[in-house]
Amino acid sequence: MAKYSWPEKPTILSTPVKRLDGPDKVSGRAKYTYDINRPGMIYGRIVRSPYPHAKITSIDVSAAEKAPGVKAVLEYRKAGDEVLYQGDPVAAVAADTEERARDAARLVRVRWEPLPHVSNETLAMNADAAKWNTAQANTRAGQRQETGDLDAGFKQAAHVVEQTYSTHVITHVCLETHGTVCEWDGDKLTAWVTTQAVHQCAQGYAQTLKIPQANVRVITQYMGGGFGSKFAPDSQGIICAQLAKKAGAPVKLMLDRKEEHLDTGNRPSAFAHIKAGVSSDGKLTAFDGQSWGTGGAGAGSQFPLPYLYQFPNRRRAHTDVYINAGQQRAMRAPGHPQGCYLTEILMDELADRVKMDPVEFRVKNAPALAPNAQYQKYFVEGAKRFGWDKRHPTGDSARGPIKTGMGVSAHLWGGGGRGSQAHIDINPDGTVVVKCGTQDIGTGTRTLVAMVAAETLGLPVSGVTPQIGDTQYPFSGGSGGSTTAASVMPAIRVVSIDALDKLFEKVAPQLGATPADLAAEGGKILVKANPSRSLAWKDACKLLGTEPISVNGQWQDGLSSTGTSGVQFAEVTVDVETGIVRIKRILAIQDCGLIVDKLTAESQVYGGVIAAINFALFEDRLLDRVTGQMVNPNMEMYLLAGMSDVPQIDVDLRNMPERGVIGIGEPPTVSTASAIANAVRNATGATIRSLPLHPHKVLAAIEQERAGGTI
Amino acid sequence: MSSKDDLPAFSRRDFLKTAGVGSLATAVTTATDAEAQTQGAAGARVLGPGDVPVTLTVNGKRVQLQIEPRVTLLDALRNRADLTGNKRVCDRGSCGACTMIVDGRTVYACSTLAIDVQDKQIRTVDGFAQGDRLHPVQQAFCDVDALMCGFCTPGFVVATVALLEKYPNATVEQAKRELDGNICRCGTFVRVFEAAMKAKTMMGGARG
Repeated sequence: MAKYSWPEKPTILSTPVKRLDGPDKVSGRAKYTYDINRPGMIYGRIVRSPYPHAKITSIDVSAAEKAPGVKAVLEYRKAGDEVLYQGDPVAAVAADTEERARDAARLVRVRWEPLPHVSNETLAMNADAAKWNTAQANTRAGQRQETGDLDAGFKQAAHVVEQTYSTHVITHVCLETHGTVCEWDGDKLTAWVTTQAVHQCAQGYAQTLKIPQANVRVITQYMGGGFGSKFAPDSQGIICAQLAKKAGAPVKLMLDRKEEHLDTGNRPSAFAHIKAGVSSDGKLTAFDGQSWGTGGAGAGSQFPLPYLYQFPNRRRAHTDVYINAGQQRAMRAPGHPQGCYLTEILMDELADRVKMDPVEFRVKNAPALAPNAQYQKYFVEGAKRFGWDKRHPTGDSARGPIKTGMGVSAHLWGGGGRGSQAHIDINPDGTVVVKCGTQDIGTGTRTLVAMVAAETLGLPVSGVTPQIGDTQYPFSGGSGGSTTAASVMPAIRVVSIDALDKLFEKVAPQLGATPADLAAEGGKILVKANPSRSLAWKDACKLLGTEPISVNGQWQDGLSSTGTSGVQFAEVTVDVETGIVRIKRILAIQDCGLIVDKLTAESQVYGGVIAAINFALFEDRLLDRVTGQMVNPNMEMYLLAGMSDVPQIDVDLRNMPERGVIGIGEPPTVSTASAIANAVRNATGATIRSLPLHPHKVLAAIEQERAGGTI
Repeated sequence: MSSKDDLPAFSRRDFLKTAGVGSLATAVTTATDAEAQTQGAAGARVLGPGDVPVTLTVNGKRVQLQIEPRVTLLDALRNRADLTGNKRVCDRGSCGACTMIVDGRTVYACSTLAIDVQDKQIRTVDGFAQGDRLHPVQQAFCDVDALMCGFCTPGFVVATVALLEKYPNATVEQAKRELDGNICRCGTFVRVFEAAMKAKTMMGGARG
């Protein structure tokens, strides 16, 4: 057996453990970046372009410099520069109060030469379109893939569906906006950053500011949501450090809600014109797709297509489209919700053509059963649990305006991890401190670190002090790709096992045994063959004398793996007179390998599902095509679900300890929107081929269906 | 608590009157001379635009500040009194993260001027726990994992406390309605609702 493995009969792992920082968070004691107040601290504010595309003629900061309370002014861009989206940063100020910083920012005089802009994909792809950038075309040919024999595939098809599908742009809406508090001590920088990657941020500061990385310390004890948008210092982080240097005082620079919408990332749009074939017995035969999408100013849109299902003959050609809008960033399962939607709506259309039940049709075309591909099993088990047998064929024939429908969808994700380092101290007084330069972005990482060490050392979770969220701790990567748990937990397990081995060496003579005879259980070090021969943990640690056990270690192969699968079912009602969709219930079946903390893992699934309800029904970044301005850069017109919008959600989390830790942050958010859209289709009999499912689109599709058919 | 006489108790008519005079007064006095402006021309009360004394009663304690009249209750407490429990998220009264209880009613502290709540009892999330002993609502949030990143949590905790003070036997509908003013981005709603119902039982309300 490998030296490092997970315990066969865990007492803490896979059980529900309350998050250790819960009391700090519910009482307001937890200090987020936004809450850091340093002695003598002043406030930064960024001046941004109001235009989607313009050339800067001149920047005059003289009035701002003379404004009350102003301590520093920074020209971030210069005359002649081209700004490429509303919100592009241009200058910045720092003043003694936040209110005065805002006043001074308004006094920065920028003269502009507005340039023609493009604010959506369709406009950008027109032959005579304005250019997003005077130096670059609006489109760029992306990936081309072809597998099998497309012509042969379409010859085998008994039915062909040819349609265009699309998803919209949404923004991350992190509740804690992006920002930093920067404080210099000589040439050393301490930055409190709301980030998903403390070490990566330190590297970013060092490279951009051209200072040694050893001179940068990044701290993130608590952070208020990132969802993929918080990995680098970004412009606001660099500006904050520069203002602090110039002013000779610590600076807090947190973006406001509008800036957050405009300049901290978004989920790119996805479009596809797809022609797909299915044989008379319900096997997929061919897929031919032209896809495009925009990630804003100079950023494309990547998404897998076709998603998940087995098209033996397929071709895909992709085009990236650039428009004058803030750049995209990774957003919770980047690409997958889009690719999933484009494919899953098509799947229900194909199933109807061959008159097959959508579940049966999917089982027939899903990947073969494998540890990381449990679809065939989950479809069948989920259908049973959800009451799928009560689903009616497409179009609810019930009388009255309220129609009910069910939908299903599936997803995959990679997860897995590597590269994390960790340190453990077992002190002579019995205290245990575990250090790792990871960060808890709300997923429960801090708690998981303590759980793994406690499990290994036979201690209660409270017997371990986890220390994370600081570049003074050993390197760990960014929290992205659902890789944190699978990167960090193996490292914690490794250092805990190594430290325990050292403790066994100290304790063995006392117990008249060899180290190999010992085990750590229930707060004791005991002889496995004779558990009555034991030492309490504290007494065992006393044998260390004055020298603690200190062990460094890192992630090792064999404790984690990659690949998860999930299937979701949705039931909705649609009011065909108003177009309003309400979700009745959702079932989410999800695996993630070894479940570390059952409680926080379930929360991730709830959260993923609810995020996808927002994607399906509510949120939408709206750009005015004439002005290029975002018309809803706030939280009242940028719609998000509230308590009354959230349906019954049943989480069916599958534990697969034999696979090691994999990660679960992203997969549960992938397929919900598709399941909802298919349920709306089942309820109304009308196919809506673009998200979000806003009432006007639902009504339009119903109208179209009545007028001649959407199917 | 300061006596009523110390407080700027002006009527709507006074405000309209002084608003006009105020701009004139600003032109002839220094902008930061709050005292002079408080006297105003012809004895009318004008506050600001410079710093003025503001006294707040927060979680039973007096907090004395020198702030501009335009400073919100949220910013006054977060930036000047280091009471950072309640969060600033939307800053325009649409997400609920800043929810505080003022004289028994929930308010969006981001959209309330500090100067307007001087004679009122203000309760923030920072004031519910007694040392390490959490309020039952806070305990229930921890027990059922009704939080993830935790940034909306203070607002939800305050809103839930207010809910259960208003409706000790809150029904499902009442709870959903009272908590509908708060937005969470991690997606904790299912468990926040569970926590509210659990807290109701812990605080002696009816089950179910």
